[in-house]
Amino acid sequence: MRYNEKELQALSRQPAELAAELGMRGPKKGSVVKRRLVKLVVNFLFYFRTDEAEVGRREGGPRAGVGELGSPDGPPIRLVCPQPVGALLLEHCRVTQEEPSGFSISFIEDPERKYHFECYSEEQCLEWMGALRRASYEFMRRSLIFYRNEIQKMTGKDPLEQFGISEEARFQLSGLKA
Amino acid sequence: MKLNERSVAHYALSNSPADHRGFLRTWGGPGTPPTPSGTGRRCWFVLKGNLLFSFESREARAPLGLVVLEGCTVELAEAPVPEEFAFTICFNAPGVRPYLLAADGPAAQEAWVKVLSRASFGYMRLVVRELENQLRDARQSLALHRHSSWKAGTSSCKTQPPDQLSRGLENGHTLSRDYSPMGLVEAGGSRPAGRNLAECELQGAASLLGRGQSPVSPETSCFSTLHDWYGQEILELRRGWRQRARGSQLKCEQQDKP
Repeated sequence: MRYNEKELQALSRQPAELAAELGMRGPKKGSVVKRRLVKLVVNFLFYFRTDEAEVGRREGGPRAGVGELGSPDGPPIRLVCPQPVGALLLEHCRVTQEEPSGFSISFIEDPERKYHFECYSEEQCLEWMGALRRASYEFMRRSLIFYRNEIQKMTGKDPLEQFGISEEARFQLSGLKA
Repeated sequence: MKLNERSVAHYALSNSPADHRGFLRTWGGPGTPPTPSGTGRRCWFVLKGNLLFSFESREARAPLGLVVLEGCTVELAEAPVPEEFAFTICFNAPGVRPYLLAADGPAAQEAWVKVLSRASFGYMRLVVRELENQLRDARQSLALHRHSSWKAGTSSCKTQPPDQLSRGLENGHTLSRDYSPMGLVEAGGSRPAGRNLAECELQGAASLLGRGQSPVSPETSCFSTLHDWYGQEILELRRGWRQRARGSQLKCEQQDKP
């Protein structure tokens, strides 16, 4: 499937819903945990290298794109090499708690193939899980349809009329599937 | 850069609702010459959320390409583009080439431009948040109405002057005069005489909404979440009424003393 990597790279530089350094392990058998800078932007989860030496060397260079990230208690992480190692589209994903401070992401077509993430606390783990579950377009669509229906029942008015999108197929109640 | 392509392709082909689909002629994009040449390639396009997939044909079993519709603007293509019913998808990011696409007719062109312009995650999130607020307002109005009719039976000691319920009424919903048996309503806003009540309401609803609990969540059983959601409101209201009843009783006693 063809796609423009630059589009995704540009997206990865947008403000994140959540960003933190986490331990990450790929789905392949025998893969090891690596420290990654994980960044949730819209319905994509980007992960970057956290090579400290690399960061120190290139800081201040002409093509440096610097961003401040990191957990509130930890040191700020300056990201100067902004290309992600990879991205995960979060549609049709399942987020599961694996340990008190760890969760996994898998996808509907192969639920046993899991990407594992290690957090520094259960609190951080739950925070990420909640954010990831809400991070899909499908989730928002279902929420929108629900709210629209509730408001219509309570007020008798269609709240989407003001946006001029009440007729769009994607917002119809019939679009809700189990 | 790695991407979970297999999952992306699966999503493209899944029966999740498509926001739009149709045939479009395409130039630009990876693997094609930088300037439009020839009549372009006719592909089947499917828009799901902020993802525009292209397929060789309607029956294709795998997507040909993907365009992520974030940080872009969609516009009708202008001359000197010779193509009829053409439009472009331009990205703000440097180094990302625009896409040139052409529909089969003016109606299709207009429909595509409209739906692609609203495809971003941010737009969807805005609409959802707006509806969240509207639902919260509608529920507050309903609760206040219920509270007012309840209160009509109790003692009428005024405790505080009404404040503006600023957040709740920004969307143009004003409480109707029907809700003002105690003279609580002023133009544009009102607050029940008991401060705690409105705050509990806001906190109760906000905390549920803030936790991201949409009742239509795949993990929770729909009905029990809904039950808790509406039950919470009742519990908070009861707590508020009892507090107020105690409070206003005390106040009345104090006022009666010289």
